[in-house]
Amino acid sequence: MTLEQDPTGTASTIPPLEVTRPTDPVTSRRKFFVAAVAATSVLATREVKAQSIRRAKRKLPEPVRGVSLSLASAAMPPDAQLAVWRDPVGRLLRRATFGVTKEELTRARKLGFSKYLDEQLKPSVIDDREVAAFVATNYPTIRMTADQLYGENLGKVMTEIQEATIYRAAFSRRQLYERMVEFWSDHFNIDRNNVGYLKTTDDRDVIRRHALGTFPALLKSSAHSAAMMEYLDQTSSRRGNINENYAREIMELHSIGVDGGYSQQDVNELARVLTGWTVTGVGVFTYDAGIHDFGPKRVLGRTIPATASGKGLSGKGEADAIIEMLALHPKTALYVATKLTRFLLQYDPTDAMVQKVVAEFLRTKGDIPAMIRVILTEQNLTTAPAKYKRPFHYAVSAVRALGPGLTSVSLVRTLVDNMGHSVFAWETPDGYPDKLEFWSGLVLSRWNAATSLSSASGTSFNFDVTPFVGTSADTGADLIIERLFGGEVTVSLRTRLADYLRPSPANTARVREAVGLALSSTQFQWY
Amino acid sequence: MTTHVQDHGCEEYNTLSRRGFVGAAATFMAATSLPAWLPKVVLAQSASSRDIIVSVFLRGGADGLSMVYPFTDTNYYTGRPTIAIPRPDSSVANRGIALNGQFAISAAMSALLPAFRAGNLLVVHGAGLVHNTRSHFDAQKFIEVGKAQDPNLVTGWLGRHLATSTPMRSNAPLRALGLSQGLPRTLVGAPQTLPIPSPATFGLGGNATTRAERSAWLRAEYGDMEASIGTPALDALNTVSLLNAIDFNGYRPAGGAVYPNTGFGRGMRSAAALIKADIGIEAIQLDIGGWDTHAAQAPVTGGMSRTMTDLANSLAAFHADALTGGVTYNVTVVVVSEFGRNVRENGSQGTDHGRGSCLFVMGPRIAGGRVLTNNWVPLARENLESGQDLKVTIDHRDVLAEIVSRRLGNTNLGVVFPSYVPTVRGVTL
Repeated sequence: MTLEQDPTGTASTIPPLEVTRPTDPVTSRRKFFVAAVAATSVLATREVKAQSIRRAKRKLPEPVRGVSLSLASAAMPPDAQLAVWRDPVGRLLRRATFGVTKEELTRARKLGFSKYLDEQLKPSVIDDREVAAFVATNYPTIRMTADQLYGENLGKVMTEIQEATIYRAAFSRRQLYERMVEFWSDHFNIDRNNVGYLKTTDDRDVIRRHALGTFPALLKSSAHSAAMMEYLDQTSSRRGNINENYAREIMELHSIGVDGGYSQQDVNELARVLTGWTVTGVGVFTYDAGIHDFGPKRVLGRTIPATASGKGLSGKGEADAIIEMLALHPKTALYVATKLTRFLLQYDPTDAMVQKVVAEFLRTKGDIPAMIRVILTEQNLTTAPAKYKRPFHYAVSAVRALGPGLTSVSLVRTLVDNMGHSVFAWETPDGYPDKLEFWSGLVLSRWNAATSLSSASGTSFNFDVTPFVGTSADTGADLIIERLFGGEVTVSLRTRLADYLRPSPANTARVREAVGLALSSTQFQWY
Repeated sequence: MTTHVQDHGCEEYNTLSRRGFVGAAATFMAATSLPAWLPKVVLAQSASSRDIIVSVFLRGGADGLSMVYPFTDTNYYTGRPTIAIPRPDSSVANRGIALNGQFAISAAMSALLPAFRAGNLLVVHGAGLVHNTRSHFDAQKFIEVGKAQDPNLVTGWLGRHLATSTPMRSNAPLRALGLSQGLPRTLVGAPQTLPIPSPATFGLGGNATTRAERSAWLRAEYGDMEASIGTPALDALNTVSLLNAIDFNGYRPAGGAVYPNTGFGRGMRSAAALIKADIGIEAIQLDIGGWDTHAAQAPVTGGMSRTMTDLANSLAAFHADALTGGVTYNVTVVVVSEFGRNVRENGSQGTDHGRGSCLFVMGPRIAGGRVLTNNWVPLARENLESGQDLKVTIDHRDVLAEIVSRRLGNTNLGVVFPSYVPTVRGVTL
């Protein structure tokens, strides 16, 4: 084979391809294309994000091949016209829980929007003893001190923290609280593969303790976490030999954000301020004045004068004061409010929405439930485009829908791993992404997870299919729809489910597959 | 003399891709497949001399001065009393190997010497992001999207390259993939592109006897759906049989190549298998982490030395397997990181976030066997950025743009790297 190579790779006798925009909307695909071009009419450098275009329900007779990801399309699911999406209580449940169940929807409707939200924002009033008892019995290590954990088998400790997290997300009645645990676990991400059993202590003593408390308390708590000190190398920073890792990330990722207005000099100086913040013994946070830099420093415009070196806690107050300042900084309010609104409401909130949350942060000094009230309003909820469930959320919502009898959630843990969302295993401190385009290509592993869950009939995890077996394909489809979608789906999905059941609607294997397909359907991917 | 089978020996395909494409297929593409956000472009040609690209991101900020280091510069040794790589002309164990009179490569990466000596491996030093940031996440984003600080630019440079190129195989269901859990930002915006963490196990589970039926059900269900989740779902369904036909587990590398049994090694092995399977894949993105060496960096014998060995052995195996093995393929491999690290070590025998680093380009049509620099100066404090870092003297986009235009045959550089006029550095032959 001898084929002349052209070093530029572009030559050849082929004339340049002129791309012309279609002008005759002959097919609906073309219609879509033209509409998309018109709707966006942007240059490559001015891309329109998914959420900024709101479009009515769109049904396409054929897939629009190649129109890329969310970039040219609305992110409303096709069933956005359904009543279940228009109902404010239904929308609140979609955002405040890990999956709407029929029972929870009934209960919430009885309570009403405000009372349900009030209840969820005050988790201590919600009786959750059953879940607490299961967790205490099955995952004993999550209550252990670092010292005790050190003596345990690490694999067991790691399994238990993951499975406890999954179990609580699925079954706790404090659903919004568990959603906030998810949020803060990403915000203050710690990779369990990096810190091992210390993740267990951070989860309990930092994240879960303050998930619905105040942001300043949470930030301070995280700054006193042995796990965080280890994870971000604060333990190896000392006077004269600073390590700037934690100093950078507490500003960039935990408080004022990358656009918070700090310089490299601020990072270096804050690292000096933080010298002495470290870990002693087996995972115990400590302050060591012996390695603190008592020289003069200047961080974010604030001057810290030199002091004589001392003992005990002398010098620790320097960083305490800076962290206090960071916790209530207006840039922190903006950064946290934006992130929280994106998580709870929509990928691309308007400035006006975010500014209301910022104002509430500043007014309440970072009260987390107060901010959530400003985000989860009836008006915001009913206009917010749907969000795509991340794999953890997806798996947990499937478990909630199926209501299995179980003694273990190890199956769910494995499936979450397979879907690329292993609990507490994101390596870098920015936490798992919450972006549609990051996850939407991993669809096969989602469908396979749905199949695994719907076909699970073992003793440790048993999905009882008998209540889904109807007398005909149509009643079978209705039973599935009732349980998984609150009774409401598009006509096409109902038809499809019935069609799948039709060959043998009483065959339990067939019904299990139909349930798996229902969980795989497009409508189950959104919340 | 090797035989470059850039057309994979299929005359029918060549004819289709050259002539047929310009006719019917091109019209179809223009009408249905061009992303709406693209401005009017002239699609890159489906010329059969276009390379496949394998793009590797070293996540965490790889210390270029531990990979390829200026061994004649005393500043390097005074700034790194505990972590410098020993001089190649010393007799110290684990000393590096000189690449020329000025630079040496770490012993941990010696597996790359054959590729370098064959002229297939280019080291570009003092390269990186011109925009000054030491944030991992901003720096990675800016490199992957190909522009700094543009909140409206969310697609990746490689994604835009693919979106402005005619497919190398007009009917390929899968043009690009990330061997990763989740789509890498570099590829966002690319048509027919998926994250596939494990190509060997890519498929629909459950009962085999109903698999076709369930697959058809899902195809209908997602076929109705809008593009954001409909397109990747259909791409996945269209790709299953293609990947299942490849025996990844039984894959035998050519040229005696042995891939490390690591995540990255297995990834490069899969990349070679995918390329040789000749299914129309034109871009593969891989990540390798572990470069954020704030503490106990240990580039000579410890942690970072193992990471460098993993990288080098995997790349070397790919070189032997796909670039110089029995049958060779037109592939360009590019390896970048978000930034380098401080010239002087910190108090934890590690290094904090810096600026310039080195990047690698490998391929049969790369002007390799050299260390490419631009005004390299001794690493004295007064020559360093902020008194601490190797300056970025070569914008990474110069290297990537030259590859895009000369090896990937795409002239739409204004779309791939918006608002940037690259300087030609002579990266390609």
